[in-house]
Amino acid sequence: MEALSALLAGFGVALQPMNLLWGFIGVTLGTFVGVLPGVGPALTVAMLLPLTVKLDPTGALIMFAGIYYGAMFGGSTTTILLNTPGESASIATALEGNRMAKAGRAGPALATSAIGSFVAGTIATILLTLLAPLVVDLALKFGPAEYFALMVFAFVTVSAVLGSSTVRGLTSLFLGLFLGLVGIDSQTGQPRFAFGVPELLDGVDVVVLAVGLFAVGEALYVAAYQSRLTETVEKVKGSIMMSAADWQRSWPAWLRATAIGFPFGTIPAGGSEIPTFLSYATEKKLTRHPEEFGKGAIEGVAGPEAANNAAATGVLVPLLTLGIPTSATAAILLGAFQNYGLQPGPLLFDSQKDLVWGLIASLYIGNIILLILNLPLIGIWVKVLTIPKDLLYAGILVFATLGAYSLHQSWVDLATLYAFGLLGFAMRRWDIPVGPAVIGLILGPLAETQFRRALSISQGDASVFFTQPISASFLAITAALVIVPFVVRHWGRLRRSRS
Amino acid sequence: MRRSPAEIALSLGALALGAGVVGVTASLPAEGGYAGIGPRFVPGVVGTGLLLLGAWLACEALSGGWRGGRPDDARERGEHAFDVAAFGWITAGLFAHMALIGWAGFVIAGTALFVCVARGFGSRKPIRDFLIGIALALGVFFFFVKLLNVNLPAGWLSPLLGGAGI
Repeated sequence: MEALSALLAGFGVALQPMNLLWGFIGVTLGTFVGVLPGVGPALTVAMLLPLTVKLDPTGALIMFAGIYYGAMFGGSTTTILLNTPGESASIATALEGNRMAKAGRAGPALATSAIGSFVAGTIATILLTLLAPLVVDLALKFGPAEYFALMVFAFVTVSAVLGSSTVRGLTSLFLGLFLGLVGIDSQTGQPRFAFGVPELLDGVDVVVLAVGLFAVGEALYVAAYQSRLTETVEKVKGSIMMSAADWQRSWPAWLRATAIGFPFGTIPAGGSEIPTFLSYATEKKLTRHPEEFGKGAIEGVAGPEAANNAAATGVLVPLLTLGIPTSATAAILLGAFQNYGLQPGPLLFDSQKDLVWGLIASLYIGNIILLILNLPLIGIWVKVLTIPKDLLYAGILVFATLGAYSLHQSWVDLATLYAFGLLGFAMRRWDIPVGPAVIGLILGPLAETQFRRALSISQGDASVFFTQPISASFLAITAALVIVPFVVRHWGRLRRSRS
Repeated sequence: MRRSPAEIALSLGALALGAGVVGVTASLPAEGGYAGIGPRFVPGVVGTGLLLLGAWLACEALSGGWRGGRPDDARERGEHAFDVAAFGWITAGLFAHMALIGWAGFVIAGTALFVCVARGFGSRKPIRDFLIGIALALGVFFFFVKLLNVNLPAGWLSPLLGGAGI
């Protein structure tokens, strides 16, 4: 099978000593930064991106894959031991995991989380390996119109389907789209919204936006509203081994979670909230120990953690095969590719076979390194958790400014960073989703290019988006996703008011 | 009826941004190279979108507040009231960093930032923070500038630190 031989070649790349080293560094760095409260995978990747600019693309991307997984493992550790989850996907884990920790069962909670993530991650990577060539074959039939329609689908689902407010999600998206417009128009060379400032001519860097929103914004928010709160870090007492009963209850949960998580990762609306909650609900329904839920049921940790990891791998499917990011972290990874002049998609699978398959192979390896390394080292990660907030955020901001300044050696980037920090603060405080802005920034310019290209080819005929079958179906699905819930909600009201 | 001045301000901000985008777009040239849409189209769409969304948000804000938002009362959110001093210290740290890095160098700017942010989070030990900050900044400087060849200014300490490269 073609995929298998490509994967074997990929292992050849990933197992080279230098690349193994990068993977190892990535996993370790990712876990370390992921453990830090308030720092999620998106911010971890964003902060470390500018610092890899001088490294070779394969090694750097392998490192980022390691960071991606490591950050999730680190985040799980924090959620189980500390009461305040760093990302919303962890809320499901926090429900049972923290309870388990309080009951002295932190070890098994961490173990089931780590092993479950490994199992789910590996299975999901196998699915990725099998699925990628199929999607690439399909994508080769895509022209600019199809890509544009797909991107519109991604925009709408990411901002309008999830979250508490469609309007605020769309506002965040349009803000991101606007920021994506700043700079030089790639089709005509015309500067837009740069107002003569040279740093702006380069466009708004995704790193400055992400670090500003996530690091500076978070620091401002926590300082203003949470700094006087005290949190208790649960100790890891006793062994981290799981009992036979724990294993018995965990492994079906892992498998179910993988089946739930992976598909959700591949679609833009997925995020990680839905699959983790779905997994939690499923486990609650199927468990033989319903009385334990809410007090520390191990399935309640095993499922959501595995689902999270499966979804995170699923995200890589559209990212690598189509170049469509379905999460803020994926958008930043896309930025990393762009930094090296690479555009993920079917062409990349052709022109840079070694890089792509080396990357996929390194996912398998990264999963193994994570498992072997991190459970025994759990003591170190727990120590990291106890770093006091004042030193923690001070250190984070030093790193944040480092990345932003290294772009152009200009204070303008630092000023922009602070501006985005204020924005991030406002978004956190008044419940405006942040993901759509990051995705809008990265995907907007790509969507514009495809849109204009499609119209160039059709000589200005806009019906091309609706007459070509694939493009039309994407747009129809998008429209349905927005209209149907709206109608359902208001029809109910109409019928009630009539009777 | 609940009216949050912040929500109103943010809605008007979105509205203003939309108006600004539409305004600036009008000054861009319209030709699109060959047979295509020019550089004005998408900015126009984005600006219009922001105008509409800003207007909708303003309507929501004026008619009972944004739907599905978070509780106004800090205690309901599990937090404490807005701490102006904390916010101020972090801002001060970032501005100090911005001002210092160009001529005093990364290490000094980074240390200043570290001390200010730590103070913002309630640290009462500025000497300890200064020492940790300088250690961190130096460590980072050596690791990233010497090892990874990242471009960071040495500033006042350049006779001691030298430039990039080993």
